[in-house]
Amino acid sequence: MAEHGIGDRPEYLTPVPAQETVPDAGLLLAAVARGEEKAFGRLYDLVAPRVYGLVRRVLRNPAQAEEVAQEVLVEVWRTATRWDPQRGSATAWIFMIAHRRAVDRVRAEQAAGDRTVRAGVASVDTPYDEVADEVAVRLERQQVRHCLDVLTEVQRQAVTLAFYQGHSYPQVSELLRVPLPTIKSRMRDGLIRLRDCLTPEVAA
Amino acid sequence: MTDDVHSLIGAYVLDALDDIDRAAFDRHLRDCDVCRLEADELFEVTARLADGAWSVPPPRLRDNVMAEITNTRQLPPAIPPRPQQRSRRGLRLVAAAAAVVTAAGAAGVVYQIQDQRVRETQSRLEAARASEARVRSILGAPDVQTRSEQLKSGGQVTVASSRLQNAGVILLAADSAPGPGRVYQMWTIQAGAPASAGALGVGQAAAVQVVEGLPGMSNVGVTIENAPSSATPTAPLDALVNLA
Repeated sequence: MAEHGIGDRPEYLTPVPAQETVPDAGLLLAAVARGEEKAFGRLYDLVAPRVYGLVRRVLRNPAQAEEVAQEVLVEVWRTATRWDPQRGSATAWIFMIAHRRAVDRVRAEQAAGDRTVRAGVASVDTPYDEVADEVAVRLERQQVRHCLDVLTEVQRQAVTLAFYQGHSYPQVSELLRVPLPTIKSRMRDGLIRLRDCLTPEVAA
Repeated sequence: MTDDVHSLIGAYVLDALDDIDRAAFDRHLRDCDVCRLEADELFEVTARLADGAWSVPPPRLRDNVMAEITNTRQLPPAIPPRPQQRSRRGLRLVAAAAAVVTAAGAAGVVYQIQDQRVRETQSRLEAARASEARVRSILGAPDVQTRSEQLKSGGQVTVASSRLQNAGVILLAADSAPGPGRVYQMWTIQAGAPASAGALGVGQAAAVQVVEGLPGMSNVGVTIENAPSSATPTAPLDALVNLA
């Protein structure tokens, strides 16, 4: 509970109504697939900070991030009917769309020879102290960080350079000065190790 | 071969593949249930990585999104069993094609790749988005065939060709741009007669080019020419891809 320390601001715990539970993204997305706009509004509130945060982290440009996040969220509405719960969670599906869109934008700009590097401009994350499930989120972040630490250095770099920076695997190979086949397998091994670390132990 | 493609699964899930590899991997997933399971599992892992990047968006984003969805029709559910389902995770092409100018006309049209330094980034990005759909339809065609050759100057040229689409995509990825005043130029060859398929800009080492009517041609060639381009290919060829 006393997990301060990530940010430099005090932690306000917004009073959360006692039995208000975090809505389930899967139920909401299923309702969205039936055209329920209200459900979409709730889904928005649940995932938009992560969609925006992810896109912004990859693009490093708040204006572009806003534009791409909007595209992503409208795409979620438009294609909700195609989400297949058997294949994956609603959030994984949404972040998959978000990440791919962000990376597409990075590549488009690189190909146009105009990668505007504006890192640093207003790149401080918006405070998330209004977020109701903040504590859960923070614990989650901690777990992810912990699990990243379990990886070997090359695995961790390969995964994070691709995921958070939007680099292609040849670019990662160049950056780390590690041969292509090695990078491919480090990415895979790294993700598998992360999976094993993040997945709760099944009680025997 | 299958093992070779499958080794890309991590890069695929991390969106670290280029268009051609991504298309190849999507086809691989279509035929391999186990691989699809593994990919789905790894997507759950990357979703957790996304959790680490939380940032509250500007409040107007919500208004904009809510306003836009009221005017956006939802796709119908995919009824055909499995192959269709995958389109959502399917080809989402990187617009590495930003340099491509879409083909407006019939086969054999010569389209010049715009100089990289043209200022209008916006118009290039729009051109890229327009051509992205075409590139996607070609690379996603069930009958697409890819062939690669090394460039003598270092690097690789890959040609993806689909008879069903009656079109192809040339993906040129040189290790470095040719010397000052020199450019890469791509050619299609039909019955021994070469036609330009576009030249890159000075300093440019990579391009994605759509060529309508490509399956009717016998070869794709790459040369190094004086900028901005040449009317006929200058020997020696830097690479020759046999399409037959």
